[in-house]
Order: sequence, then C-alpha cells, then structure tokens
Amino acid sequence: MSTSDGWLAAALVPLLALVPVLWRIAYGSPGDRLIGQNLTSLLAGLVLLLAAQGFHRTSYNDVALVVSVLGPTGTLIYARFLDVLPDSRLVRWTALVGVPATVLPLCVATGPGRAMAKLLLIGVLLIAGSVVTSGRGAREGVTA
Amino acid sequence: MTDVLIVVALLLVAGAATAAVLNRDPMRQALVLSFLGLALALLFTFLQAPDVALSQLAVGSAVTPLMILLTVRKVRRRPGSGDGVDKPAGRER
Repeated sequence: MSTSDGWLAAALVPLLALVPVLWRIAYGSPGDRLIGQNLTSLLAGLVLLLAAQGFHRTSYNDVALVVSVLGPTGTLIYARFLDVLPDSRLVRWTALVGVPATVLPLCVATGPGRAMAKLLLIGVLLIAGSVVTSGRGAREGVTA
Repeated sequence: MTDVLIVVALLLVAGAATAAVLNRDPMRQALVLSFLGLALALLFTFLQAPDVALSQLAVGSAVTPLMILLTVRKVRRRPGSGDGVDKPAGRER
C-alpha cells in the first residue's frame, strides 16, 4: 500500500488539535461543549480529507462529505436541546482559514475533474456549516 | 506515518471513552459520546475501512447521542420526578 507521508503528516495537525478540544468537551461549560462539538466535526472533516489524499483513495472523501453534512446538523440539534448556541470566533476563523488552506492544495494535487468538484463541495459545506452554527444569525432559530 | 495516525486516534478514542464514563450528567455524556463516535470514525478510516467509518459516523456520532438526549428530555419532563434525572444514568452502567 503506497501512502504519501507528507499528506498524512499534514493530517496529524488537525488530529492533534482534537486533543484540547476533547478536554473542553469533557470539562467545559455547556457553551464550551457545543463549540467543542462544532470544532470536532470541522477538524475531523479536515483530517479525513488529508488522510484520503495521503492514502491515495479519493473514495475516502465520502466520509468527509458525510461529516460535513452531519456535523453542523448535529450542532444545531444539540443547540436546540441545550438552549445555547454561542458565538464562536474560534470555529469561524478555523473554518475560514483552515478549510481553504486544506482544500486548495488538495485541489491542486488532485487536478481538475469530478474529484476536485467533490473536494470543493465538501469545503463549501464545511465553511457554510461552521459559519451558520457559529454566527449571531443562528441564534434566533434556537429560541423557537 | 500511518502508525502514528493510528496511535493518536487510539489515544483519542481511549481519552474520549474515559471522559464519557467520568462525566455524570447524561446531557454532557451525550456530547462526549458524539466526540467518541467521530474519533472512532477517524480510527476506522486510518485502518483503511471507510465503509465501517461511515456507519460508525451515522450511528455513533448522530443517532446514539440523539436518543440519549431525547430520553433525558422525556424523563425530565415527567411530573413528580424532581431529582429522578440521575436514576436512568445509574441504571445504564
């Protein structure tokens, strides 16, 4: 099985970033936990994208696609139950900086085609989901 | 390099599972459990089993925590059980 270590080493960065997130989820206030859950799905999506490239299996991107759909949905459901949906600059900036920094090199490495369109779709979904669940505008939906 | 990823993912799974056990409030356990589901999905992907990871994502990170949340809500809503919240959690273990 041929793997490329560069991409896998890059996948290690968001993976290690999950460790402090786990700490916050386990011991933080309810708002912190929700931010942690949001950040977890975002970082997991990035790890999966990078790992798919590292293993030379573009079909692994399906898992990242499912994460990018389920993650923000789950956050909104938890927000409904816990009655908090905190503003989170951390999530928003991680999404706005981290996702393009991951997806654009992957697109360059993949080359044009179906796989690249899928990568871009996953990136857009990740950014959109994070912006919706971390912004002020989402707050009205919670109290309803 | 794959081994490093697998080891880190395994440590995350172990940490998340321990945190889920140590948390006493079911509401909080649900969130830790969804983290555990995501960590397991990552581990399965690193072990080159993306189909298992997909089902783990659906079950572990979405359905199970949602069922716990719904159950806790139902139990809390029942009249005359002011502090009955902790009992179902104790029964699960």
